[in-house]
Amino acid sequence: MDRVDIVHDNFLTRVAAGDFPDGTPPNDTLPADQAVSLFRSQCLSRALDRTSRKMQKQGQGFYTIGSSGHEGMAAVAHALRPTDPAFLHYRDAAFQIARAAQVPGQNMAWDMLLSFACSSDDPISGGRHKVLGSRDLMIPPQTSTIASHLPKAVGSAYAICAARRNPPEHQLYADDAIVMCSFGDASANHSTAQGAINTAGWTSIQNTPLPLLFVCEDNGIGISTKTPAGWIEMSMRHRPGIKYFQADGLDIYAAFAASKKAADYVRCHRKPAFLHLRTVRLYGHAGADVATSYLPKSEVEADEANDPLLHSARLLDQAGALKPANALAIYNDTCARTERVAAQVIKRPHLKTAADVKASLIPPARNCQPTNGPTPEARAAAFGSDARMLDQPQPMSKLINWALTDLMLEHGEICLMGEDVGRKGGVYGVTQKLQTRFGPDRVIDTLLDEQSILGLAIGMGQNGFVPMPEIQFLAYLHNAEDQLRGEAATLPFFSNGQFTNPMVLRIAGLGYQKGFGGHFHNDNSIAVLRDIPGVIIACPSNGTDAALMMREAVRLARVEQRVVVFLEPIALYPMRDLFEEKDGAFMGTYPSPDQSIPLGEVGIHGNGIDVAIVTYGNGCYLSRKAQAVLDGHDISSRVIDLRWLAPLPKDALLQAIKGCAHVLIVDECRGTGSQSEGLMALLAEAGVASFGRITADDTFIATGPAYAASLPSVGGIVDAVRALIGGAS
Amino acid sequence: MSRTAVIICPGRGTYNKPEHGYLQRHHAEKSELFERFDNLRKDADQPAITALDSEVPFSARSHTQGDVASPLIYAASFSDALNISDDIEIVGVTGNSMGWYIALAVAGALSATDGFRVVNTMGTLMQAQSIGGQLIYPFTGDNWVSDPAAKQAILDVVREIDARADHVLALSIDLGGMLVLAGDESGLSAFETQMPQVQGRYPMRLPNHSAFHTHLQEPIAALGREALSADMFTQPNIPMIDGRGAIWWPNSSDLSALYDYTFSHQVTEPYDFTKAIQTAAQEFAPDMFIITGPGNTLGGAVAQSLILAEWQGMRSKADFLKEQENDPILVSMGLDAQRALAES
Repeated sequence: MDRVDIVHDNFLTRVAAGDFPDGTPPNDTLPADQAVSLFRSQCLSRALDRTSRKMQKQGQGFYTIGSSGHEGMAAVAHALRPTDPAFLHYRDAAFQIARAAQVPGQNMAWDMLLSFACSSDDPISGGRHKVLGSRDLMIPPQTSTIASHLPKAVGSAYAICAARRNPPEHQLYADDAIVMCSFGDASANHSTAQGAINTAGWTSIQNTPLPLLFVCEDNGIGISTKTPAGWIEMSMRHRPGIKYFQADGLDIYAAFAASKKAADYVRCHRKPAFLHLRTVRLYGHAGADVATSYLPKSEVEADEANDPLLHSARLLDQAGALKPANALAIYNDTCARTERVAAQVIKRPHLKTAADVKASLIPPARNCQPTNGPTPEARAAAFGSDARMLDQPQPMSKLINWALTDLMLEHGEICLMGEDVGRKGGVYGVTQKLQTRFGPDRVIDTLLDEQSILGLAIGMGQNGFVPMPEIQFLAYLHNAEDQLRGEAATLPFFSNGQFTNPMVLRIAGLGYQKGFGGHFHNDNSIAVLRDIPGVIIACPSNGTDAALMMREAVRLARVEQRVVVFLEPIALYPMRDLFEEKDGAFMGTYPSPDQSIPLGEVGIHGNGIDVAIVTYGNGCYLSRKAQAVLDGHDISSRVIDLRWLAPLPKDALLQAIKGCAHVLIVDECRGTGSQSEGLMALLAEAGVASFGRITADDTFIATGPAYAASLPSVGGIVDAVRALIGGAS
Repeated sequence: MSRTAVIICPGRGTYNKPEHGYLQRHHAEKSELFERFDNLRKDADQPAITALDSEVPFSARSHTQGDVASPLIYAASFSDALNISDDIEIVGVTGNSMGWYIALAVAGALSATDGFRVVNTMGTLMQAQSIGGQLIYPFTGDNWVSDPAAKQAILDVVREIDARADHVLALSIDLGGMLVLAGDESGLSAFETQMPQVQGRYPMRLPNHSAFHTHLQEPIAALGREALSADMFTQPNIPMIDGRGAIWWPNSSDLSALYDYTFSHQVTEPYDFTKAIQTAAQEFAPDMFIITGPGNTLGGAVAQSLILAEWQGMRSKADFLKEQENDPILVSMGLDAQRALAES
């Protein structure tokens, strides 16, 4: 017999017989009507689990990971406010249902069944995925399976207090809100979870406000791997800066009392707390998982005997709130109602085309109040001694610094965060003086954890800020990449554009640093970014472009709510000369703040017709040098700077190469996985007659004299052009 | 029980000449119940509803007044609900505007007498104060096809008129494919002047109606709270869906919040009947919706609300009529032809 039916029958027979599991009597924290309301939420959650499995068997439902055994989360919801952002564990249907009871006009049975059916009517994801979530209930959707939602919960908690000090125009969270973030005992072991919890403690002990409630739903097992007895308590009870609370999640009265206590502590002290709730897991991990295949039947039955709904029926009876017969009636009515609603829901439409699926990859633009920019006095004060150098040629690092200064002056919602961005002003001085100019609240020195940096940015982006996180070196992105791929990029997609986390992620990267750092400071692969749907990648090749593109990147984030990666070639930061030593030809002057380079516009140097060299970043610098050499060989060329690596500016590029006999792609990233692959495909599909590529070798970059040995060089470009032309002739 | 149903109680404007004698025609056997109602009327020096229903000749002027129409509608609607067949499982109750008070009684949150007391008190207060008025204007055409842009355009006009000095105009009831607007005389007149006449009769003023569900009713709400005690409320026996689409469940309703909603928000904020019907459909998925009498004017608004939610795939009046033909999802007890479908 299916365990779902066994649990169901247990409830019916045991409640009818008054045969309840043992437990402590109810405390006096919940009035009768509230306790029964929580029981109703629990029953609906259970009925939805049962119905979802039936729907799946009939080919009408597509999700069976249930909340059975975790229905005590209804009590946690009841202890919070519906305006408290909740980043939920996937077993928290009861939380969402109980929260819906706090907001008039919510149709939770209908809405959640729509999501099981993956109907395009599903109000949160539009049929893209079964996720808990609701804009009305302040539950941003996410998958939560690998605890990747914890860093942004930390970021959101920070953002609530940051908005109290510096309210952004599009602030989402209430000033007095606290953030709740739930997860299972198994996913608490994930490095992402550990990093976020560590960051919360690190922040808290410095007395930085962080109203955050972690809720660990401890059912003692992760799919088939048991959590060691007492592990969560042992590892979490004594975390610095985080107060530990504990309750039996099978007892709605006890769970409510502990949740209330924990929530009150967080709200009052604006410090993080960890609520450890004991739960059980009924029905195994998901529809296809048979728990008895890896657990003794007696253990499975022991959990079933502790069904939280049985405990609720017991407690309600003991409290005099509801007779067992009435509890049974509520359970049966709810099951019948859910089945009736499901029979209607399956008639609702689904997404059909790729265009339907993609419709929410890019969030809707939002209206932003126009600004007149800073006053001349404010600007003069901010720039200080730099002001008199504004019309003199400067290297890229300085021009980016000035662009950031102007942008931060104009838009109070821009905040920078990263390792060493504040006091030190960045490893390469790009953010120098910004903390002095704008204060530590807007230029935040973070701890050394890239996941937390991106989590902070996501949280601040959700609350209306325009965060500009910095990843110090491209290679450091990789340990945190999922925050971008699995969280930031997916939020508009999963929420049908209702939640957004715009940002401009600055990453210092790419190769060519002479004798410094080797691979870890000279990473030349952005394959990990290229394929993330909806993410924009910008890569300037000189200081003036960097300033102009930075302004567009901020506009894209601020107005169009996009996630933009701004890849800054480290080796070009200090570069002054282009063709000869001391020629100063690579420096540029600071462009007027009202100018920018729009997304998709490529740069073109020269108008030769023999060859078009398509490149970006350091490749552009090298290609322009090569262009001078080629001139000497009577080969006329043009260098096309892509500037925007994703989405590829296909039309602009094809337009720019028009009239050129040959096209050479110069890509400083590795042959495998680099932009050159996409460009080769593009040129082939466009029917370009003669084209080739020169890329970095498929190796990591060496430290010392061989730092550029595996990378494209001026000579290599010249040779490749000559070979291309020769080969063609 | 073979069928499930949500009961819908009508609001003001449903007891007109054709309904005169309704209590006597359909509920002659409920004399004891009506006597209790009439005793309350007597205590307030008001004419008995049994007399108004049959002995007193129908007068459009007096029978549509709040202190007369409200108790008559209550008695008719409540009595109809009592007559619903035992083989129909009532899974939810809702109502339109004043119908909310009736829903409270049908669901058992108020006793039959207290429900009557509430309706009679509020109807009398509204008649005595007579603040502002109401008109009705459609945003769908004859085919009842959803037109959100048309609705928004009307609401934009309402907002614009309301912003004028010495003008009050606001949404009163979201009523399926129609909007009931309420305001003061200048607000209502401005709307009537500005908007084109459609379907030969709209904008249509609702006689003897006040500016229900707007802030103009705040004095009435205050007097109502003064006159009516929270002690009357008990846990409902049947889930109730209010004018926000919120559900009040048996054994789990906060009675103090229910009292506050009933005599504050419900009186002074827009009533979203459309949302109530959509919640009834989506959260209870009944086999049918039963509109109690008197009258049958609410049927269109219920059907339109269901069409706006694309319930059962319906997108137009034609779809609805087809659905009705096969297996009626909407039964109006005020229509003799349909009454038998609901009655035992």
